[in-house]
Formats: sequence, C-alpha cells, structure tokens
Amino acid sequence: MAVALTTVTMLTMARMKVAMLRHAFHGTRAQTAGTGAALGALLAAGTIYLAFIGPDPLAAGYAVWLLGWILGPIFMGGGDETLRPEYFSLLGLSPRRMAAGLLVSAFVGVAPLVSLTALLGLLVAGVRLGVVNTLVAAPAMVLQLAVFVLLSKVSVALVGLALRTRPGAIASGVLNGAILAALGQVWVFFVVFGQTGVPAAVWYLPSGWGLLAVRGQWWALAALAFLVLLLLGAWAALLGLRTGAARLSTRGRRPMRPATANGAIVAKELRTWSRDLVRNHQLTFALSYGVCFAASPLILGWDGMLPYAGLIFIVMAAAMTSNLYGTDGTALWLTLMTPNASDVRGRQLAWLSAHAPVAVVLTVAFTAVTGGPWPLILALLPALLGGAAGLVPLVSVYGLVPGTDPHRRAGNPLRTSEDDGGLTGLAYLMLALVLLTGVPAGLVALRFGWAGVAAGVVTGALCYWGFGLLAEGRLRSQGPELLNVMRTGRKPQTTMASRFEHLSTTQKTIAGLCFGFGAIPLVPQGIIAAVFVANDTVRHSWFLATYMPPGLRYPVAAAFVVLGLAMYGTGLWFVTPRSSRQRGRPSPGEPVRAGCRCRP
Amino acid sequence: MTPALEISGLTKRFGDKLAADAIDLSVPQGSFFGLVGQNGAGKTTTLSMAVGMLRPDGGSARIFGEDVWSAPGRAKAMVGVLPDGLAMPERLTGREVLTYLGLLRGLDKDVVARRAGELLAVLELDSAEKTLVVEYSTGMRKKIGLATALLHAPRLLVLDEPFEAVDPVSAATIKTILRGFVAGGGSIVLSSHVMALVEQLCDRVAVIDKGTVAAAGTLDEVRGASSLEETFVALVGEQDNGVKELSWLSR
Repeated sequence: MAVALTTVTMLTMARMKVAMLRHAFHGTRAQTAGTGAALGALLAAGTIYLAFIGPDPLAAGYAVWLLGWILGPIFMGGGDETLRPEYFSLLGLSPRRMAAGLLVSAFVGVAPLVSLTALLGLLVAGVRLGVVNTLVAAPAMVLQLAVFVLLSKVSVALVGLALRTRPGAIASGVLNGAILAALGQVWVFFVVFGQTGVPAAVWYLPSGWGLLAVRGQWWALAALAFLVLLLLGAWAALLGLRTGAARLSTRGRRPMRPATANGAIVAKELRTWSRDLVRNHQLTFALSYGVCFAASPLILGWDGMLPYAGLIFIVMAAAMTSNLYGTDGTALWLTLMTPNASDVRGRQLAWLSAHAPVAVVLTVAFTAVTGGPWPLILALLPALLGGAAGLVPLVSVYGLVPGTDPHRRAGNPLRTSEDDGGLTGLAYLMLALVLLTGVPAGLVALRFGWAGVAAGVVTGALCYWGFGLLAEGRLRSQGPELLNVMRTGRKPQTTMASRFEHLSTTQKTIAGLCFGFGAIPLVPQGIIAAVFVANDTVRHSWFLATYMPPGLRYPVAAAFVVLGLAMYGTGLWFVTPRSSRQRGRPSPGEPVRAGCRCRP
Repeated sequence: MTPALEISGLTKRFGDKLAADAIDLSVPQGSFFGLVGQNGAGKTTTLSMAVGMLRPDGGSARIFGEDVWSAPGRAKAMVGVLPDGLAMPERLTGREVLTYLGLLRGLDKDVVARRAGELLAVLELDSAEKTLVVEYSTGMRKKIGLATALLHAPRLLVLDEPFEAVDPVSAATIKTILRGFVAGGGSIVLSSHVMALVEQLCDRVAVIDKGTVAAAGTLDEVRGASSLEETFVALVGEQDNGVKELSWLSR
C-alpha cells in the first residue's frame, strides 16, 4: 500500500513538473534552455568520447560532472526549484515520501537528461569489456545519476540552512570560494603531488563508483545504492528543516543620517549589503575566491599571482552582482515614482563603498609583499573598479533577469530568480565585460609603465560615468517596461529579431552589415593588433596596425576599435525600439507596442 | 477647475487580452473616488497607467493638468501611490524606508524625521522599530505603503486595494486618515472589490468591467435606488446567475 502510494505521489509530481516546464519555456527562457541543452549535449558527447580513450579520463570526466552538480546551483540561483516542498506542506506527506516524489520529479528536466547522456560513457565502457559489464552499466547509469541529483539537492539544502545566520552565510561563502578557486588552480596541486595525468582520487569519489562497478568491482554498485538511500534520508530530513521560518531580527539599528537623495540611496544600498545574508554570502565568496586563487601558487613557492587577489575579487564581485536591479524585484516602482532622484549614481557609489576598500587594501598589501609589479597593478585597480561600478548597473538594466520579490521568496535563500540559466549567463557576460575594461590600462602599463596608472584612472572614470549615464537613460526611457518584466516574470515576446523584421530593406542591410562585420575592426584589427603592438610584434599577418610606422601603430588600432564600436552602435540604433529613443507618451491613434517600430 | 486626475482613452493590451479598452475617467478635485470591478477587470492596469508605472498602448493621463509621461517630474510629485503587492526596499526598517523615500523626494532631513515619526505612530508601526520590512505581515506592508504614499503631502492619492488584509482596528484608523485628507482638500482614487467599503467612503464611483467603464458618476447616480452591490452584480454579472452548489460538500 505504502509503496503504491509513494509510486502514485512520484508519478503525479513528475507529471506536474512536466506541465510546469511546458509553461515556463517560452520566449527568452526557451532560448536560454536551448542554448544550455546544446552546450550540455556537446559536453556529454565529449564525455562519451573519453570512454573510448580509457577509464582514467572517463573517471576524471565524471568527477567534473559531480562537481558541476554540487557547485553549479550554489553559485547560481539555487538549482532547479520548479517543484517546491512548500507546495506540498499541507498534504501531510511523510518527509520520505515527499523526498522520493521530489527526487523523481528532479529527474525530469534538461540537466538530468544531458547528464544521463554523458553517463552513456558507462555503457560504452561496459560494451568494451563484456556482456556482464554491459548489463551492469544500465543500473549503474541510473544510480550514478541519482547520486548526482541527490548530492546536488543535499548540498543546496545545507548551504540554504547556513544562509539563515550571518556566521553561516559568511562561512559558506568562504568555503565555496576556496573550493572554486582550488578547482581553477588545480594544476598547482598536480605539481605539488608530482602527479602527471589523472589523480587516482577520482576513482574513489562517488562519481567514479559507477565506472568501478562496470569494470568488475561489483561492491561499487551496492555502495552506490546505499549512498542513494543515505542521501535520500538526509534530504528528507533537510526538507523538514527548510519550512521553518527565518528568525526575526531584533538587533538595534543605527539611524540613517544622510541629508541628500544620493546619500539616501547609498545608505539604503549599504544597509542591504550588510543585512541581506545572500549578499553577505556573495561578497565573502568573491573575497575568498580572489584570495585563494591568487595565493594558491604560494604552495609552490611562487608569489607572482598574489598581487592580483584584489583585482580577481573585483571581477568576481561584479559577476555576483550582475543582476543588481533584478534582485530587488518590483521595488523599482519607487524609482519610477521619484524621477528627480538618480538611483543609478547612488547604487554605483554604494557598490564602490562596499567593494573598493577591500579591493584596495588587498591589492596594496599583497603587492607590497611581493614588491611589484606596481605600475601594472595600480593601473588595473582603478580601471577595473570604475569598469565594474559602471557595468553593474548597466548590465543589470539591459540584461535584467526578473527576480522573485524578496518577500515572496520560498524556503531556498539562494533562489533569487526563476530563471537561473539567465542569471548564469549574465554573470559570465559580466566577467568578460569587466575584464575588457581593464585591457586598455593593462596594455599601456605593460608598454609604458607608470603611464598605465593614469590610463587606468581615466578609463575607470570614463566607464563609471559613461556606463552609469547609459544605465540611467535606459531606466528613464524603459523603466515601466522593466517594471512590467519584473511583475510578470517574463520578458516581452518581441525580440531583436522581430524588430529587425520591421526595418526597411536598406536599414536591414546596414544593420546586418554592422552586426555581421563590426567584430573585425573591433577585435582582430583593434584589440588584438594593439596587443601585438604592445609586444613589439611588427608586420604580423593581416594586422594592419603592425605594418604602420611606430608613431601610428596605437592610433590605427584605436581607430579600428572606435570603428568597430561605432558599427555595433549603428546596428543597435536601428533595432532599438523607438520608445527608448523618443521619450514621452505615445499619441493616441499611434500605438507603440514594446519593441516594435510601427512605421509604415 | 482642473481635475485631480484625468485619464482619456487609456488602452493596454497584454498578448491577446485587452486589459484596458479606451478608458476615460475624470476625478474632480476634492472627491473620494472608488474604482470597483471583479478580479482581472483592469483596475490595477488602469491605475498603473494613470500614475506612470505602466506604459499605455494609447491614451493619456494627467495629474492636475500635468501629463504623466511628458512631465513626469511635476506630475509624480503631486501624487502618492500605494500599489498592490509590489516590493519595497525590503532590508530597511519602517522608519528607514520613510527616511529614504523622503530624502529621495527632496524633502528636508528634519521634515522627514518629524513626518516619519508621526506616520509610524498614527499607523501603529512604531512598536516594530527593529523589524525589517521583509519581515512585516501583509497588513503591516499595507500600512507602511500608505505611509510612503502620504509622506510628501501629495494632493492626490492613488490607492490599489488599500484595505486588503488590514485588521478592523487599523482599517478604522486608515479610514479616519483618508477622510481627513479629503476634508482638507485632497483627492483620493481607491480600487476595491468590497462594495460596502466603497459605499461607506466614496462620493464618486466607476465600475470597471472587462477593461471598459460600465458605469461612472456620483455614488447615487450609479447605484440608484438599490445598493451598490446589487447594481454591480447587475452590471457585470453573467446572464445566468444561478449560483451552483457543490453537491459533494453536503452529506
């Protein structure tokens, strides 16, 4: 009876999830999911290929999948929460049955399907060994997938629990940052252990047990099954803890002292930074990542990376805050209703006040320890700080991922939005863009030494000012649309592509040329050519700037960068909806739909 | 006299659904205006467009003659808004929210401090001095929302469902405040689906149904000889209005 009931619960929950996913995958989210699935399929194909190379690489491959399942959701959005335990809290299900139902529903989705495809490598390994091994591969695949999914759920639940208290949030931030940094610097540990190739440890991680079983160590199959039961029990227990409400705060509050609108925004933001435990977690994560990443080569006695700790912290912290406006949810209405105050500038100042002191202290202290290279480091510091403080509001209003309003969030504190794919994409975009803002100052510093510092201050200030201005303009012209995205949780269906359809043939051609070829002057002829010039590489293949007389090399590369940016700007100008360029209300009888230039 | 709020031809389409179909309304100065309608009739959409929080597909909205879209600074300074269910700066206490918004509105620091103290005391939020807004109950959220709408002493209040989830004692307080506001020359637009409340408070009513104005005028013009509830059901109810019973609920 109990088994039958559990089966019914499991199937019902799985059907519910299928229905919810069908409704959720529309518009941009479908695109994100499609891109994710395509990337995942590529990774899965690569993993299956490893099975043909040999067992060691395959075991290492599965270790990477395991880490992806555990760490991925912690960094971005708290993992798959289509079905939440809270939905079922009134049904009186036993924790174990609920966990079993949620587990089965957790298998429905893109990520599990992709992982199962990757686990086909076990089947390949089995077929290459014999009939019995092939037969063992099937249950091994299912159990291995269950271990992936369950370890992911348990680790998210544990971090969620830690995020209910400040010490927990800080501790888990430090720990997660250290783990991710260690993964990024895994070569250091290889060198330390004198290891070449794949470390033996990958065989003994739970990710290797499936492969062990297929290779004839039958105990591993039993161990996998046992681990699944153990994790299921742990998850069921954690689900019970999750529904408890967070404690109310009773601490005394320091009074708000500023006397100006800008000061008020800074004070509000800084209070949010210190009181929101998710932001505490993100900040300590970025800090721990920067320090551990830069310090790990010290194990080898090499301190050359140490001065970059503060800079890595800036880049990581910017990525963590890439959805600044989205995480505040519909509170944007207050910004719309007070059009005379400048929300963006206040937030920029607050971002700097929260991050710059830490970054400056880290950078100066660590560079003093190693004794240099001062010009490069001091050039990058202001460039990246200004770049990040400019890009954070800009990216968050242009790439806004609708967040869940803080007072409506469910039991998982990591879950700030329903679109975790979008959040991840935005974070990576931010990483890349912030790094780019450091390139000019870095190049100048490498070539001319201390002049780089001036370049860094100038580009940093320009980014801060210019990107902030762009963000402000976007907020002013598209504020109501952004609020509507936040309210409904869905981006408008009309995309760039459909706007493109409304252009005339000439406009289409120009926009197409701009988008299609803008990258050529910008990247190879501009940025890359400048790198060659900086390295004194002359007359190099087709990079025009390297053929110029010495005085003209940088100007030519810079001109190409400007040309490339201008081409993208022109293309964007054509496809930008008219409402964002022409402020003011639409006149009656001239309907303006979001994202449509209704021109005859 | 310029109307406190004048909306003409406001239209909004969400996908296939016409949420507001050329809505015209005029709220005279000094009136207490009730907007009634079923769930999903278009009340929130209309009010959001009227105050500049949602861009209409067509039509215009003027607050004391100032266009909400072409002169947002002047128009929005004269209105206090209480939206339904939107977020606030959640990690601030009630007093901090008021301080923050007052400064944002360009008020003097001391004025903000004085008004915030009074508002918190009148709305009985001063006992929750250390509580962050994210930890507030639904009723408390309504009250702090009302406080933010009143803070800059606007001449027009636009309130979306101001009494939902508010306990009877607080509701009585809020009613007193709102009546005093109108008596002092202010104008109020509120939306509700509680007919008794609208009948009790408002002198003018508009009935919104399926994105259009089904009836508008003074309370007596709209309800005639019957109650507002009867008039409302007659206006918006389906033709076949036999209420069905749930057979499986009775033993």
